Amino acid sequence: MNNNYIPTIGIEVHVELKTNTKIFSNSKNGYGQMANSLTNVVDLGYPGTLPTLNEKVIELAIKAATVLNCKIRRQMHFDRKNYFYPDNPKNYQITQAETPIGYDGYVEIDLDGEKKKIYIEEMHIEEDTCKSTHKSGKTYLDFNRAGVPLIEIVTKPCISSPLEAKLYLEKLKELLFYTDVSDCKMEEGSMRADANISLRKNESDPLGTKVEIKNIGSISNVKLSLEKEWERQTKMLDNNEYFKEQTRRFDDKKNDTVLMRVKETGNDYRYFPEPDIPFVYITDEMIENAKKKIPMLPDERKKVYIEKNIPEVNAKKLVEHRELSDFLNSLLDKNVDFVVACNLLLGDISAYLNKEEKKLSETTLTKEKFIELVNKVSSKEISSKNVKDILKDVLETELSIKEIISKSGIKNISDDETINKIIDKIIENNQESVKDYKDGKDRAIKYLMGQVMKETKGSVNPEKAMNLLKVKLQSI
Amino acid sequence: MTNYLEKSVKEINELLKNKKIKPIDLVNEAFERIENNSELNAYITLNKEEAVKKAIELEDKEVDNILFGLPIAVKDNIVTKGLRTTAASHILENFTPIYDATVVEKINKNNMIIIGKTNMDEFAMGSSSRTSYFGAPRNPWNKTKISGGSSGGSAVTIAANDVLFALGTDTGGSIRQPASYCGIVGMKPTYGRVSRYGMIAFASSLDQIGPMTKNVYNNALLLNVIAGHDDKDLTSSRKEVEDYTSLIGQDIKGKKIAIPNYFVSDIVSKEIKEKLENVIELLKEKGAIVDYVDMKYLENAVTLYQIIAMGEASSNLARFDGIRYGTSYEDPNGIYDLYVKTRSNGFGKEVKRRIMVGSYLLSGENAKIYYNKALAIRDDISKEFKKVFEKYDYIIGPTTTTTAYDLTDPMDDPSKSFMDDVLSIPVNMAGLPGLNLPIGTSEDNMPIGMQIIGDKFTEASIYQLAAFLEKEIDFCGGVKYE
Amino acid sequence: MKKVLTKEEVLHVADLARIEVSDSEVEKYQEELGKLLSDVEQINMVENYDDERLIAPWTEETKLREDSEGTMLNPKEVIENAPRRAGNYIAVPVVISENESEGA
Repeated sequence: MNNNYIPTIGIEVHVELKTNTKIFSNSKNGYGQMANSLTNVVDLGYPGTLPTLNEKVIELAIKAATVLNCKIRRQMHFDRKNYFYPDNPKNYQITQAETPIGYDGYVEIDLDGEKKKIYIEEMHIEEDTCKSTHKSGKTYLDFNRAGVPLIEIVTKPCISSPLEAKLYLEKLKELLFYTDVSDCKMEEGSMRADANISLRKNESDPLGTKVEIKNIGSISNVKLSLEKEWERQTKMLDNNEYFKEQTRRFDDKKNDTVLMRVKETGNDYRYFPEPDIPFVYITDEMIENAKKKIPMLPDERKKVYIEKNIPEVNAKKLVEHRELSDFLNSLLDKNVDFVVACNLLLGDISAYLNKEEKKLSETTLTKEKFIELVNKVSSKEISSKNVKDILKDVLETELSIKEIISKSGIKNISDDETINKIIDKIIENNQESVKDYKDGKDRAIKYLMGQVMKETKGSVNPEKAMNLLKVKLQSI
Repeated sequence: MTNYLEKSVKEINELLKNKKIKPIDLVNEAFERIENNSELNAYITLNKEEAVKKAIELEDKEVDNILFGLPIAVKDNIVTKGLRTTAASHILENFTPIYDATVVEKINKNNMIIIGKTNMDEFAMGSSSRTSYFGAPRNPWNKTKISGGSSGGSAVTIAANDVLFALGTDTGGSIRQPASYCGIVGMKPTYGRVSRYGMIAFASSLDQIGPMTKNVYNNALLLNVIAGHDDKDLTSSRKEVEDYTSLIGQDIKGKKIAIPNYFVSDIVSKEIKEKLENVIELLKEKGAIVDYVDMKYLENAVTLYQIIAMGEASSNLARFDGIRYGTSYEDPNGIYDLYVKTRSNGFGKEVKRRIMVGSYLLSGENAKIYYNKALAIRDDISKEFKKVFEKYDYIIGPTTTTTAYDLTDPMDDPSKSFMDDVLSIPVNMAGLPGLNLPIGTSEDNMPIGMQIIGDKFTEASIYQLAAFLEKEIDFCGGVKYE
Repeated sequence: MKKVLTKEEVLHVADLARIEVSDSEVEKYQEELGKLLSDVEQINMVENYDDERLIAPWTEETKLREDSEGTMLNPKEVIENAPRRAGNYIAVPVVISENESEGA
């Protein structure tokens, strides 16, 4: 990459809020349903209809504003943004231009071990448009998405590399996902990103010509498209080529940005205050209630896990798997072996969930049952092989761990006498190996141990058996 | 023809209760009257088939309220499920709504019978109902005169005794002004008193639905039905509804009444001022205290109205684009062409002009220059009213500056229709209740009306004063309550 | 004060409002809009008392709605009034290329 120019990047993100109903009407907020099956006269902009305002939207917006460290506006109203477009049922969009619910916030990213704050200019509430499909000379409108609640989060132009942009988006996604503000599924459009970038030679120069890249489909493409744009603009600047402010999009196939339109004399949206929605007052109580619903955030979780001796790499993995992390968090006040618990969750249980395409909540595993299982494993009463054997019963039946163990016939051989008897038998039948061991071939003891496990079908406490085997061999 | 609809509501109610008459008798009579008055052009759509059906259904029902079985006319910018609703525009000429306005639900719940949809100015934009795509209604007092507007058809059908009840809408005087021109009682309630859900919006911050009737008592009865909170309209008030007839019949002695000097200035015709003088004398005689007061900003109300109403209208009417409903241009060449042709063919001249001006006033920096300034002065007007109501119970004045003018008067002055509403607009700006009461006739025998304005949510008290004067003035053969 | 609107201003406003103004109408609109705007211009002569605005004469603050589902239309009702339709969709008669489509 040519580094003659410094990029200045700003990012706008739209996320769809996780509510039951739309922002201004009580029809369902849903995805992937039959076209035009989730609407009412309000969503369709029928003459005479009026908006109502969903309380959940305000709650989620407060949560988002809180985790984005924004100040929260206490008296707000909505505004109308007027433009004609077939996906805009009223030909105006209800949004917040004058009084965004959140402003002056930041998100902290981790840049090679150093913290950097990405500043949030403002975040506001607005309604989504309907979905249009373009096919063989016509455009087809599906109003299911019309009126789905959105928040738009706008950064200051303070991002100085495509990598920072990527880290910011990852962080934003993590925060909004963990607070249940949004699903943040870019592939389903519940999180959408626009990025703008301009180049200049020195920090002290005025900002260069801004190019906006719209509707980028994934976080990695945001980084990629910004890199491509950096490269493209660098070439143009080096060749003294002049270009106008413009909007581009990222083409996956070409692996490059493509021109959509050159910006003419700014859009004339004719904003004015929405008279149909009186002032909304955000009270201390509303803020407190929303804050109470914010769970432990990812960074905090990682810290806690590491304190519980879980390796950092596993702590990260847990946080990426929200449900498992939530489950583990429900045990934080319990005295259990968290390393074992983490290994179980990320190991056999994850494997099972992936294979069965299930969520943890769809299994029969309860907190109590899991604690029992962890304790059995950490006290070595059952082996990891045992866990594999009984996992199906653990996750698919209502039986307790104790009942499952007794049903499956696992006898945990842990008394010395029984183990010694088995060892005696194995030694008697494998004199060759004993000789090898005595001759200093270390591998032999592993073989003998394997035989012990085989004889006991894995139900012996391996650590104990190994110790007893060593004692026995030395005494020969 | 029967003459039930000339009786008082109480009498009709008794007849219905005693099974002397059936709702169908009232419906048939109403349609016969409308038929006889068809040249008045009061209706855009008649609801004959459904009204008859409803009347017959009601025969098996108990007469459960005083308005049971009574025919009512509804202004055609209030949506009625299954019944064509045009807002007097070509763009909605064949539009059949798929839901009922909240006021319509309330009317139906009270077992009133919707007789038809009344004529009006297109999208309520105008003050003579002459911008209707369906031609102007005529004033029953003199068929060469305008009805006033925008609720012209509703005023006409009441004045002509077709029905006892009608609904109008009032954005800058559209109930009170035609009520004044046609000599009937029209009330614009407090902003938020009646749900706007289902009223095709003209200017959302000014619009309000209200009752239009021959007398004050009937007016209060209809407000009793339509007032109240609606979850579907965030601007509708949660304040409890009272019985708006409750103060009718009470004395007005000691009431304090203010008359803004602007309301009796040179803008008002001499004979209207004279008639108002008579009322003022009467009020004083009956023990009311009447003072003339100065109120700032009243003379700016029309300008504010032009900015705010046209600004909001340009946005409210953007939804008429020929995509989801309404008349659509058949063979457009591209999406832009669809919008432009649909809207240019679908809207009338006045509507297009107002949309254009509204768009201009909100475009670019203009929103800051004009719109915000207008909202700031609107706040000042509202505070001026507040100040007066700290001392006075009522503000009164004429409703209009002249009586109804000729249908053939020129329409090319774009400011004229706004100036017709110069005395009624301030009330909408502040969201106050205001009522027109007929107080006499002019030399050429056209009705003259006065306006009674109260503080927010004082409708019952307005009816008190109006009923008192109504009884004393004996306009048009007097009133029959019992 | 007489306000005059240029031809370009009239055409710009017509474009914003999606209203067709033919060449022969431009002058008429220039005059009519000019007349109305001259009226409106008077607002700048008025001194407002304070900067507080009245957006609408609301009597109460917004009461938020509970987040629970209400009745919805079926797709047939949705398309019933639409001049152009295809299957469950409302149709627009002309292509809008992907490049043109605006996000929210």
